[in-house]
Parts: sequence; structure tokens; C-alpha cells
Amino acid sequence: MDYLKVPEEVKGIKKYALAAAAGGFLVMGALYFFLPGTVFFASYLVGYLFWLTIALGILGWLTLHHMTGGGWGIMVRRISEAAVYTIPFLAVFIIPVLFGIHHLYHWSEAEAVAHDPILAHKAPYLNVPFFILRTVFYFAVWIFLVFRLLKLSLEQDKTGDAVIYNKLYRVSAPGFLLLFLTATFASFDWLMSLDPHWFSSIYGVWFASGAALSGMSFLALWAIILYSREPLSEYKRLVYFHDYGKLMFAFVMFWAYISFSQFLIIWSGNLPEEIIFYIPRIRGKWLPLSVFLLIGHFVLPFLLLLSARIKKDFGKLSKIAIWLLFMHWIDIFWNVFPSLKIGESYSILFAILANVAVTVMVGGVFFYFFISRLEKMPLLPVKEPFLREALESE
Amino acid sequence: MNRVYGVLAEFDSISSLIEAAKEARDIGFRKMDAYTPFPNEELAHILGYHKSRLPLITLIAGLIGTVTGAGLCYWVHVIAYPLNFGGKPLNSWPAFVPITFETTILFAGIGVVLGFFAICGLPQPYHPLFNDPRFGLASNDRFFLCIEADDPYYNEDKVKQLLGKKAVRVTTVDF
Amino acid sequence: MDRVEKPNVAPVLAPGHSVGSITDKIASVILQKTPRWWYFGFGIAFLLFMLLQLALFVLFVKGVGVWGINIPVGWGFAIINFVWWIGIGHAGTLISAILLLLRQDWRTSINRFAEAMTIFAVACAGLFPLIHVGRPWLAYWLFPYPNTMGLWPQFRSPLMWDVFAVSTYATISLLFWYLGLIPDLATMRDRAKSKVAKIIYGVFAMGWRGSVKHWHEHEVASLLLAGLATPLVLSVHSVVSFDFSIGIIPGWHTTIFPPYFVAGAIFAGFAMVITLAVPLRKLFGMYDLITERHLDNMGKIMLATGLIVAYGYAMEAFTAWYSGNIYEWFMVYNRATGPYRWHWYALFLCNIAAVQLLWIKKVRLNPIYLWIIAMFVNVGMWLERFIIVVTSLHRDFLPSSWGYYKGTIWDWATYIGSIGLFLFLFFLFVRFVPMIAIFEVKTLLPEAKGRSGNE
Repeated sequence: MDYLKVPEEVKGIKKYALAAAAGGFLVMGALYFFLPGTVFFASYLVGYLFWLTIALGILGWLTLHHMTGGGWGIMVRRISEAAVYTIPFLAVFIIPVLFGIHHLYHWSEAEAVAHDPILAHKAPYLNVPFFILRTVFYFAVWIFLVFRLLKLSLEQDKTGDAVIYNKLYRVSAPGFLLLFLTATFASFDWLMSLDPHWFSSIYGVWFASGAALSGMSFLALWAIILYSREPLSEYKRLVYFHDYGKLMFAFVMFWAYISFSQFLIIWSGNLPEEIIFYIPRIRGKWLPLSVFLLIGHFVLPFLLLLSARIKKDFGKLSKIAIWLLFMHWIDIFWNVFPSLKIGESYSILFAILANVAVTVMVGGVFFYFFISRLEKMPLLPVKEPFLREALESE
Repeated sequence: MNRVYGVLAEFDSISSLIEAAKEARDIGFRKMDAYTPFPNEELAHILGYHKSRLPLITLIAGLIGTVTGAGLCYWVHVIAYPLNFGGKPLNSWPAFVPITFETTILFAGIGVVLGFFAICGLPQPYHPLFNDPRFGLASNDRFFLCIEADDPYYNEDKVKQLLGKKAVRVTTVDF
Repeated sequence: MDRVEKPNVAPVLAPGHSVGSITDKIASVILQKTPRWWYFGFGIAFLLFMLLQLALFVLFVKGVGVWGINIPVGWGFAIINFVWWIGIGHAGTLISAILLLLRQDWRTSINRFAEAMTIFAVACAGLFPLIHVGRPWLAYWLFPYPNTMGLWPQFRSPLMWDVFAVSTYATISLLFWYLGLIPDLATMRDRAKSKVAKIIYGVFAMGWRGSVKHWHEHEVASLLLAGLATPLVLSVHSVVSFDFSIGIIPGWHTTIFPPYFVAGAIFAGFAMVITLAVPLRKLFGMYDLITERHLDNMGKIMLATGLIVAYGYAMEAFTAWYSGNIYEWFMVYNRATGPYRWHWYALFLCNIAAVQLLWIKKVRLNPIYLWIIAMFVNVGMWLERFIIVVTSLHRDFLPSSWGYYKGTIWDWATYIGSIGLFLFLFFLFVRFVPMIAIFEVKTLLPEAKGRSGNE
């Protein structure tokens, strides 16, 4: 199966990825001195979580695929494996967030906790050592899961044993469960506790829905890139692209459903400790961004993806996938910035630049390892027992 | 003598029906339809049923439902019966979303089913094909192809000869 | 491609069937002489249904005072049963709509009776809000219509959303079920021997003749309805959860409720599907149509949704503590140590502990174990709603107004009677309507693909 290699032009991305990582790092480093700590680290958190959630979403899809089977997953299995392969490397990049704890998380200041009974109540959970310990634990779980899945997949490529198919299944079922639980608490820690008074029990599901949607958009985009070029173009089966379109459509709706449920319940209850999340977002300067999020993350993609024709059209589907990835970035930004108390005394331009620089830098790292992994294995899981059946569809 | 509806051929497998339908289509017959106990995609393609107007009907019905639901809530609470409730604004749109959603689905769903009946011309109390005593097997395990008499190429003997090649039985069906 | 081993997967349809034999098998259930056990089961269901009638008669004559509800617990069995029943309905829609969209072909042999289950469960569910309003003869006031009083319903109220959600759900489920039934009713029309049966099936089959054009539209319509029913089923139980979560009562007002209720509904629904499927499979000898694969998959779905429900419990409890709200935290504490603690422990046993056995493949493949676990879940999901409804109400902010609630004999009679109504309808269904979708099972046959040419 020597011929199922990554096309040369795709390999070329690695160079740019390294350059982007380096360039992003320099710009980001320079901006550190021009921005207030909170703004800087919040920008970092947004750019970082954008890529991490994509990888986590894809890890979810990969484990789900190993549990339920289906041609859609076989066709993008290598893309998924390459994307989750970045998680161990992305783990290193959480470190700046840990250095920024005091800038980002109000609950980490002993002074504040001493004067705030609510924060004092939460202190057994929200304290710096435990926060770091949990973060390490989440990554340990994810990295373990990634290595286990990749190792089994490699073995399957070599031997083609049916046992491995079952092993992948048996790792994935509890793996998915653990992923969901750890991701939930990761979202509580990294995002929900930005405003330590606020709480929402659906927040983990919101986090998962965004990760799943962006993960699927990424998979669809890369499936389109690879299957419209040699050597995979002869294995292109339109029905699976229709499936990716449908899954994106389903998760556009699911994301909207979860986000709206949270909003409706909090808005109706109108309790002070809950509505604080929405006050800055539906009143004042963040309102336009909220409207943009509603239209861009739901209304527009919903209307476009209704059409079966668009879902099967490579050009249009890839554009929608890019758009949804962009909106996922906006969604994270929207969850981070309005929660923070930031003065007005900083340059908006620099803040935007910092966001872009971090996103580009982490993205560069992501793509470098993503492509490196893609190069290592044939682009289709050649000994997957159901590959032949998957290719029988049109 | 009765007016002729068309020639009905009975097959014992779907593959022979598909081959016969293909042949008839290639010759140029258009006024024909097949009758089977279960759906088959290939057959639908051969007989030229690719598109359906149902999605459009559903979309329109759904949009009417959206406007109805949202309009009802807005009109009642802002225009017809404005009442301050729990300090919420008169136009409390988040609370109107669930009802708007439900009416959208309700209208669209009714649209699908009524549209389906309209397009298929159902209910149809009488159809000439049921005059054939064995036609009831179309809902069991037999496969039928009927070339109708108003097809421009229709010629009873030739059609019978053509269908007879694969069919187990060929008859003429009257109105 | 070189050596690739195939893992063993049980078939969806046991080998040895032909197009004709499937018709024979499924239609014969209806056309054969009524088996004796049917009369027996139907008789019991009918008696229970009569119990419902009696309970309703007493209720209408004496009023809701015959129930156990009072201040502080003003919502009791009626809402518990409503949520329980409507939840059960959700599995039918999941099987018929979501699994259709996901192209899961194993659904074909269980979707018909699961859909029937949905409709009957929604009918039972719809009963409770109507009799709970106090003056059921004025229940039509729930609907918006121009009236001489110049009044309109309160559309901001989740109870009003319920009216729309449940009536939409009932309508769409019925339409979906009927649409799928039309080809099979035609089969029954063509097979029935008696004149009366021929006419009745014929009227409902609407002159269906299996035309390829009609099949094409039928498939499009089914997919469209499935596409509509999928978000609908999510919305229905979300709206039910809004009945609780939109208010600010501790224990009710939490944002996880919508997805957690939906998962619970599917969980309960699959338990009921298994409760019905296992005996039906045995009584009608449908082993070749409802295979081990079905048992396995249903067990897995029950496990998955059960774990989501457990996740919901965990989030609820964690957030109650994390919020720092003492009333929220008291709710959790009171559930674990208050007068309803045994209900709470039983709930954990049924909904979480029992379900973990489904990790074991042997348990999933054994119809009896599966059935027993499903019964646990049926009970557990009822207890869950009991805990949610009652524990939040019986001890509110003022200890002086605390109380204790339990159902009276008429509460139980109504509940058990509603199970009678459900079984009564279900027994009629299996006797007169093809309980497995004949034409859909046929599409599973290799010869149904009918590829012509020399492939």
C-alpha cells in the first residue's frame, strides 16, 4: 500500500506551519509587553482552546466510530488519528495558561477569597494546586487514550487481526465516557470558572457540542482536501460527504439547542447569580457579537445545510466547514472575554492581534504534527475489516 | 368492448423486472410504471423518478408554521392582550421560541403527508390494475410492469412480445 | 487487498427468508386464529382499563381531592405519570426517525411496534394533564382560540409550550406511523380472506398499489418526516423539562435538565421497547426477525442513555454544591437523608447500578436478563420523576410549611389503569395491524437489491 501517500502539496504545509508557529510566537511574545496580563492570557486561552477543542472533538468522533462502525468513520479514520495525535503536543501549550492563572481566574487570589463567602465555599475545588492537578489529569487521560488507539490502529495495519477490531471497540466505549467526563470538568475549570460566581450544569454539554461540531467540520474539510487529490480521489464516495454534511447540520442544531436551553432557563429564572453571565452579553458592547454568534453559528449554516445539494458539493461544503471553524473560534471568544473584568486602557488593535497571533502559533504547531502523522501511515486503514464494504457505496 | 388501460407483465424477481424496464425505456416507452412489494432505488432511476417536489412543499409549509407560531405569540402578548408578567418585556421572544418551533414542525409534518397524498393521487378508490386477479401479489412477492395504452409507441402485440421475454405472464388490462 | 479478518456480527435477519416468506410470517400473526394467550392478556389489560375508567369516574364526581396532592405538594402522580409516559414514547421516535437517518438497518423489524408504543404512550401521557386541570370539561381553554371573554393563553408559560409540544408530537407520530403502515395495510388488504377485513384494510390502504413512483415519494416523505421528528423528539422532552427548570424552585432550576430529560426519556423508552419486544418475540416465534443483534443493540443503547442519565445526576449534584446556593445543596442533602431517601436509593439501584450489567455481552444477549433489567429501568425512571417532583416541593424555604406526600389508592388506580389503557391498545394493535414493517424487512434481503447486469 505504498501508493496511499500524502500528496506533495499537502506535505508542503509543514513548512508553512513551522513558519506560522514561529511568527505567531514572536508577535505574541512582543505583545506580552504591550497588553494587560488579563487581556494577554485571555487571548491565549481563546486561541489555545480553539485548537484543543477541535482535537478533542475529533477524539470523540474517533471513539464513537470505533463503537458504532460505519463507512463515514473509516474514510476519515486516518485524518482523525492524525488530528488527535496533536493532543500530546498541544498539552505542552497549556503551560502559559497555568502561568496566567492569577490574571485569568479571580478565585486564585487569596485576598478575594478571604472576603467572598461564595469563593471561600468553592475553595476546596477552585484552588491553584488542585486546578493544576486536574489539568494534568485531564491530559493524562486524553494522551493515554490517544496512544492506545493509535497503537492498536498501527497493529491492525500490520496484522489485520479481527481481535484488534474488538479491542478498539473495547477501548473506545469507556474511553468515550472518560473523555466526556474529563472534557466537562475541563470546561468548568478553564472556562466556567473565569467568572467564579457563575455556574451552569449544562456547560459541559455546550463544550462538547462545540468541540463535536468543529471536529466534524475539520474532518469534512480535510476529507475534501484529500479526496479531491491523488491518490485518494479514486476512493471518493459522495455518500460519506453527504454524511459529514448531515452530521455538521445535526450539530449546528444541537449546539443551538444546548446554547439556547442554557439561555432560556437562565433568562427565565433571572436569578442574580446566574444572569450575570448574560448581562454583559445581551446588554451593552458585546450584544452585536452575540447577534453575530446567533446568526453565524446557527441561522446561516442551518439554512445552507438544509439543502442536500450543498451538502454534496465539495466547494460549498468546504466553505461552510471553514466558516463553522471560524464561528467556533468566535464562540470560545464569546465565552471568555465578556466574563472578564478588563479596564478600557488597552489597545483593541493589539488585543485582536494577540488573539490572531496565538491562534496562528498554536495552529502552526497543530498542523505540523497533524501532517507529520498523516505522512506516517497509508491514508486509508487498509486492513480495517469493513473497508471493502464502505467502498461499495457510491 | 372495454377501453384498454395497458399491458401488464408479471415477473418473479426484481432483477428481471429491472432488465425489462430498462429495455422498455431504451426503446422509448415513457408511460409505464412498475409495481413492487418494496422500494428499489435502481428501478426509480430507470423509470425517471429522481426528484421530488416534497422537500419544497415541506419547506414552504414549515415557513408558514414559523410565521404562524411567532405571529400568534407576538400578536397575543404585544397587541391583543398585553400584560406585564413577572417583569418580562411584552415581546419576550426567548419564551416564544418553543411554540414557534413546534408550529414549524407541525405545519411541515402535515405538509409532508398531505403533499405525499396529493402527489401520489391517494386515496384512490378505483384503479384498473386491480382488475387483474393476480395484481394483489404486487404487495407480496411478485413484481409487475405495466406499459400504458396512451404511450405514443404503444402497440399491444409488440409490447406483449417485448415484455414476454422476461415475464412469467403477460396480460392486457381493461379500464 | 490482503488478508483481512472479519469480526463476527450477528445478522439483522436470520438467513433462509425470501420475499414471500416474510409476508407469510408477519401477516399470519393477524390472519391466523386468535391464540388463547391473546384473550388472556387482552382480558387483563381490559380489566385494568376498566380500573382507569372507575378511577376517572371517582375523580370527576369528587374532584382532585381524592388524590394525595395538597399544599405544599401540589404536583403529584399526575405530572409524574405524564412525564413517565411521554418519556416512554421517545424511544419509538428514536428508532423510527433517528436510526432511519443514520441508516441503521436493524431498526426495520422493531420500528413498527416501537412507533405504536409511542402513540399509545403519548395517548396515556396526554390523559394526565387533562384530568389534572381540575375541571377537565374546560380543558379546551388550553388552546388559543378567539373567545367572548377576550382572553388568551399565556404563551410565556412552559405549561403552554407543553400543550403545543405534546399535541405536535402526537400528530407527527401518528402521521409517521400511518405513512409507514400504508404499504403493509395494502398487503393485508390483498391477503385478507374475509370481505369485511378486505374493506377495512382497503379503506386504510387508500388504494396503494406499490407503484414505483409512489415508493419513491414514500421514501422521500419518510425521510422528511424523520428529519422533522428528530428535532421534535428532542424538543418535546426539553419542553417537559422546562416545566420544571424555567421556574426557580431548588432542584428544578438547573440548566442540564433539557438534555438530561431527553436522555432519560430514551432510556425509559428503550426499557419499554425491550419489555414489549422480548415477550412478543417469544409468543410469536419471531426469533428470525428480532435477532440477537437487536437485543444486543437495544441493550447497548439502554446502557449509553443510562450513563447519560447518570451524568445528569452527577452534574446536578456537583453544580448544587458548586453554586454555593444553600437551598440547592439542601435539596441534594434532603434527597439523600430526608423522608424520601429510600426512593432515592432505589432510584440509584434501578437506573444506575442495574444498568451496569449491560456492559457484559452475555447479559445483553440473554432475553430474560435483558427483560429484568428493563423492568428495573421502568421502575427507576418512574422513581426519578417522583424524586424530582416531590422532593423539591415537600420541603420548601419555610420549615413550617414542610409536608409529606404519598399517593392515595385513587392515584395508584389511575396510574395502574393507564398501564391498562396502554396494554389494551397494544393488544389490539398486535392483533389487527402488522407489528413488523413487512416491506422494510424485505429490503434487507439480498435479492431486494436486485442489481441487474453482470456484477
